[in-house]
Amino acid sequence: MPSNTASSSSAPAGSSKSKRPKYSKFTQQELPACKPILTPGWVILTFLVISVIFIPLGVVSLFASQDVVEIVDRYDNDCVPTPARTNKVAYIQGGSDKSCNRTLVVPKKMKQPIYVYYQLENFYQNHRRYVKSRSDSQLRSVKDENQIDACKPEDDVNGRPIVPCGLIAWSLFNDTYALSKNNQPLTVNKRGIAWKSDREHKFGKNVFPKNFQEGNITGGGRLDANKSLSEQEDLIVWMRTAALPTFRKLYGKIESDLEKGDTIHVTLLNNYNTYSFDGKKKLVLSTTSWLGGKNDFLGIAYLTVGGICFFLALVFTIMYLVKPRRLGDPTYLSWNRVPGGGR
Amino acid sequence: MIILCCSNIIFFLSLDQIIIGDQVEIARVIKEEVKKELRKSLEEAQLYMHTVAGPKLALVIDGKCLMYALDPSLRVTLLSLSLNCTSVVCCRVSPLQKAQVTSLVRKGAKKITLSIGDGANDVSMIQAAHVGIGISGMEGMQAVMASDFAIAQFRFLTDLLLVHGRWSYLRICKVVMYFFYKNLTFTLTQFWFTFRTGFSGQRFYDDWFQSLYNVFFTALPVIVLGLFEKDVSASLSKRYPELYREGIRNSFFKWRVVAVWATSAVYQSLVCYLFVTTSSFGAINSSGKIFGLWDVSTLVFTCLVIAVNVRILLMSNSITRWHYITVGGSILAWLVFAFVYCGITTPRDRNENVYFVIYVLMSTFYFYFALLLVPIVSLLGDFIFQGVERWFFPYDYQIVQEIHRHESDASKADHLEIENELTPQEARSYAISQLPRELSKHTGFAFDSPGYESFFASQLGVYAPQKAWDVARRASMRSRPTVPKKK
Repeated sequence: MPSNTASSSSAPAGSSKSKRPKYSKFTQQELPACKPILTPGWVILTFLVISVIFIPLGVVSLFASQDVVEIVDRYDNDCVPTPARTNKVAYIQGGSDKSCNRTLVVPKKMKQPIYVYYQLENFYQNHRRYVKSRSDSQLRSVKDENQIDACKPEDDVNGRPIVPCGLIAWSLFNDTYALSKNNQPLTVNKRGIAWKSDREHKFGKNVFPKNFQEGNITGGGRLDANKSLSEQEDLIVWMRTAALPTFRKLYGKIESDLEKGDTIHVTLLNNYNTYSFDGKKKLVLSTTSWLGGKNDFLGIAYLTVGGICFFLALVFTIMYLVKPRRLGDPTYLSWNRVPGGGR
Repeated sequence: MIILCCSNIIFFLSLDQIIIGDQVEIARVIKEEVKKELRKSLEEAQLYMHTVAGPKLALVIDGKCLMYALDPSLRVTLLSLSLNCTSVVCCRVSPLQKAQVTSLVRKGAKKITLSIGDGANDVSMIQAAHVGIGISGMEGMQAVMASDFAIAQFRFLTDLLLVHGRWSYLRICKVVMYFFYKNLTFTLTQFWFTFRTGFSGQRFYDDWFQSLYNVFFTALPVIVLGLFEKDVSASLSKRYPELYREGIRNSFFKWRVVAVWATSAVYQSLVCYLFVTTSSFGAINSSGKIFGLWDVSTLVFTCLVIAVNVRILLMSNSITRWHYITVGGSILAWLVFAFVYCGITTPRDRNENVYFVIYVLMSTFYFYFALLLVPIVSLLGDFIFQGVERWFFPYDYQIVQEIHRHESDASKADHLEIENELTPQEARSYAISQLPRELSKHTGFAFDSPGYESFFASQLGVYAPQKAWDVARRASMRSRPTVPKKK
């Protein structure tokens, strides 16, 4: 193509002085590229692949979840004696004996370890001022004992710093459960219930509780001042604040099997005040599978999505057969369809 | 006077009468003449416009007539007449009139105007239009300095408009839409969380995760998209100039498109938030332990980063290796950052408690199950929408892509290449072009140079010889040709 017009800025590459910038695929936007076109074949193939992968995964997850046996028992209403039910808050704040007896029946054989949880509802551990009311540096080492700024109002008692400070520690859950089967007490192992990283790195081995729950208002449980924080696993579990207002926390584990039909007697101390804010308390016994506790959501989600994809693959196949469009049909170009028109 | 020429109609407006008399009187009379002519032409033009398959209309008007026609009272008539014509040629116009005509069209017709010129007399016109293009070279650099875009040869205008202008529009639309989408998705997940925190304003994500989301974890892929996105190749863009209409009609940035992206963002944020928070209730591995707030939020964040980054691959028409590198790299950067950030304890603690969170997450099977499910479900909505849209309501560029789907990249043909080997004819042409050129800057008009005829001829594929008088003139010029100094 004769391009040697009378313009000065182009010159054949043979001359020594060319003003052309150095050619590179990157700057000239000529990188080799994959140009995917979403043809019906690809769409249907993708749906089939997704359904082929997801349906087995869903089945596996659902089986894992269905294998889990769970007993849930709500006790906060029933454990308040009938005469006190008109003013539960006064009852719970009073000094009467709070012990309560509950009976649970095991619906299916439960293999050890069986985990004991307490479930709270309508308890906002994710409230902003609650979440920030702690001092991690204080929890970790003794020398940072006085880092209590974020902990207000539970930061000090008459000028002496509280260890551990903050609302989270102050509101420690303090119901206790004593379980027995056929009049034989079931030992509940309360060690190893917190995450190892918390136990070993977040809570110091030589930090001991000081001035705890000595203020005017008692928010929850007390702590043994002779045990270091890294051994106070209830506190560690409680301080890993939950994401949602309905949550469970691990209380302990039972290391023996429970047979179907067994009757479990629970002697619990109904100390914790959830009545001021209409919260609920539940005791949960549950086994676990490799995927966790009884939560069908993952299995159902996988199965549903796999099923939907399979159904969509069929629908799209039918759609493409009923309303076919030849790939690259020029009659679909807007200037060929409507004179001067198009989208 | 109106002259009929084949099936096209050309309106000629020029002043060729001589009137003797008082200057003011003359001006008034001439103005009346012009007004009459304009009105007549306009009526004639409107007659033709009402027939659908009517002839094409052209207007030729010279500078003297334009002087009167640009008068505020006649301007509107001139504009409506011009807009009825397919093309308008104004000859013998002064630079000021060039600018006035451009402003007239710009303000009166309310369309985007482009003006191109190469000389100092075009500067005001270039600045009056929306887009001003200067051609560097023969007439000096004034036009280039005043312009928005500078090109070396007039023929590069096709590339500028049809290839680069079109791609630029497409890229800007995609980049802007993607930015809003990714931030909307991210923010909405936090929004859904506020409903479950008692509206206390507790943040869902850790501070540093939030801040670096836009900086490190989702920034690079969209830059690569903006640099390399091409719907059709350059040669196809020139072969189908009608594709340019998509820009004129603003088909990629209508409210409908925005609504689709916004819905997609809402859907994806709901999926990421709900799926993870619902499925992480209770024990999540065989040891019976429970997740806390930061575990759940880090998992949601991971799913979000993956979904939002892979979305780029879904919306790209041409995927280069840089796309893969940036998408994979961004996800990897997030993981590496999480490993480092969650692995250290700072002296003044962040009070956010994300210590060891990512390791805790990765030690459960649940994490991997959620990571496979959530991004795929998030992107499924967009995938279905794109599949349906492409099949039943395709854009023009998609049809063109399909027509040429089997052709490989003939990238060499896209370039305005200068061949290395010269035929004897070309060698002679080159030798002639090396003769000293007209150095005067007052050569007059942009296209009144010997070179342009051969340019048009070469466009048609016809060989036009150099004009003999021009070759002789240049060969006899006294001044020596400027020889580039050798080092």
